[in-house]
Amino acid sequence: MAALIDIVEITKDYGRFRALDCVSLQVESGITGLLGPNGAGKTTLIKVLLGLVKTSSGRGRLLNYELGSQYREIRANVGYMPEDDCFLHGMTGVECVQFVAQLSRIPEIEALRRSHEILDFCGLAQERYRTVETYSTGMRQKLRFAQAIVHDPPVLILDEPTSGLDPEERVIMLNRIRVLARDHGKAVLICTHILPDVQSISDSVVILARGRVQVAERLSELSRPAEPALEVRLLGSPERFTDVIRGSGVPIESRSDGTLVLRGAPEELATQAWQVAEQVGVGVRSLTASRNSLEEIFLNAVREGGKP
Amino acid sequence: MMDGLLGDDVVMAELDSDANTDGRGVNRLGYRGWSGRLESGWARWTVISSVGIRRAWQSRWLRRMLFFAWLPAVVFGIGFFVWEQAALYPDWQRPGMNFLGGLLPPHVANEIGESIRKGDLQSSRHTVWASLLQSLFRYPQGVLMVMVIGLIAPPMISQDFRSRAFLLYFSRPLTRGEYLLGKLASVWAYLSLISTLPALALYVLGVLLSPNLSVVSATWDLPLRVMAASVILMLPTSMLALCFSSLTQESRYAGFAWFAIWIMGWFTFGAATTAEAFNAQMTNGRMGRELVLEQSPWTHVSLYHTLGRVQSWVFGLTDFREVWISAAILIAVTVISLAILLRRISAPMRV
Repeated sequence: MAALIDIVEITKDYGRFRALDCVSLQVESGITGLLGPNGAGKTTLIKVLLGLVKTSSGRGRLLNYELGSQYREIRANVGYMPEDDCFLHGMTGVECVQFVAQLSRIPEIEALRRSHEILDFCGLAQERYRTVETYSTGMRQKLRFAQAIVHDPPVLILDEPTSGLDPEERVIMLNRIRVLARDHGKAVLICTHILPDVQSISDSVVILARGRVQVAERLSELSRPAEPALEVRLLGSPERFTDVIRGSGVPIESRSDGTLVLRGAPEELATQAWQVAEQVGVGVRSLTASRNSLEEIFLNAVREGGKP
Repeated sequence: MMDGLLGDDVVMAELDSDANTDGRGVNRLGYRGWSGRLESGWARWTVISSVGIRRAWQSRWLRRMLFFAWLPAVVFGIGFFVWEQAALYPDWQRPGMNFLGGLLPPHVANEIGESIRKGDLQSSRHTVWASLLQSLFRYPQGVLMVMVIGLIAPPMISQDFRSRAFLLYFSRPLTRGEYLLGKLASVWAYLSLISTLPALALYVLGVLLSPNLSVVSATWDLPLRVMAASVILMLPTSMLALCFSSLTQESRYAGFAWFAIWIMGWFTFGAATTAEAFNAQMTNGRMGRELVLEQSPWTHVSLYHTLGRVQSWVFGLTDFREVWISAAILIAVTVISLAILLRRISAPMRV
């Protein structure tokens, strides 16, 4: 499959400061998490994709449009949700969404109809008739999301889409993003600091540090541990369970949070764990195949990026 | 597990409940793709300008000002009426000239007196109409223009910077030029309401009051001169006002700079020409202040008077050789403002 975003050795300098350093990247359809510490170059990369800043060197394509020279076509096909508040004073929510829909060349009446439809999808009810200055942080977040998707773009670039949302709204927002990617075939690039969000919905992850790509891989590949293992959490005392498992020749270790890690193929160990638990009379709270946590991957990547 | 929580059924259930609880969601259609017909791209700036016009219209002060902006046109309309009556009926000539004397510059009033003596008042129609239109542009509408622009232009770009709305604009297929054109067109719309439209209405009134339609062939150029004078009024002033607006996030600073440049220019001109006239009177005892006003190089420090000089050339009342410096100043103001505007508009993206 052709990559939706394909950039080759892009460098961007702001005076003496190098924000992007020979970044090469291919992003395919699905949801991609763009991670990195502050100052890693995430926002600059987004600006480069949208043609808001010129690159110092390098080239790239987004949806087969040349970065830089075909910025109009790119912006027409990308929905961008900025991290910061951006709205027009004195306008209501629905007027704001209609306005950006019209900027994307949707006719006026259709833009109004479409805005109402999208605001329904985004969960902004009667608040849409209030001026945006009166909106709470969560409402503004939904409004920005509505503005990004109102023209039905095939690619979405979402900068911190869940920041400022309460836990319930956060889950709902992530679900909306999943619906767009899964049911409507949108390619989504999510830029966030909230790692569990990325872990929960992303297919791929790109980690930037100091302007360089440290990791660009499918999440399923990244999560696979170097050595297969099964993580077991028990209800009750684990001592006898541990002894029996160890006695059967399976390496086992205990973590500080009480989780037991059994080394070996998870499918076979799961059956054995159930049998042993029944034998020693303890309950099983959870059995999960061991995965590398995104936090771990992120920290390793950032550490690697910090090395000269 | 998280994957389970975000399973397909749960996703839809949560989105549906989001739409249905507390009566939300008029359409309840979820997300639907859109594949309608797009509008032509060239008109994108009209979206910005129409929003700019609507937002400015929310100001009660602006609405009041627009209402009062037409009152001077009524006075000048009476001027047209009086002159046409004087041209038809000799009884009207003396009172008519008294009234018109207050609206027209002295050299035009002298020209009318000359025509009356020759018994051919009709021959000065073009000059009188052009003078009335120029006076409308230069005096009442010139001042109103300063006030209207001072009310609507300062927040236009500064507020976009303050609320970071530039990301809203420039993440869309929009160029800096289209953005600027949209903003300028909002200002132009209001300026044409207070200058071009009243002037054109006055011309039509003059034609309707005249004895026959042959006056159109004698004065056909005046509507074109009105349009040209409008462009000269609108271009440098709107560019300058938006330039100030783009230099700050605080619209009050932009408004202050706008009014300051007019008021300071006016007072500098007034003080300098008064001193000049006094000096001239002391040396030769002949030169009156009217002549000083017309010829003084101090007009170039006042944007208001610079505009007036170029407009008097547009209406055919002055020779270009006398106003070329003023024209050059207006062109310079326009070009420099445009250059600053284009640079400032893209500035937020560079960081």
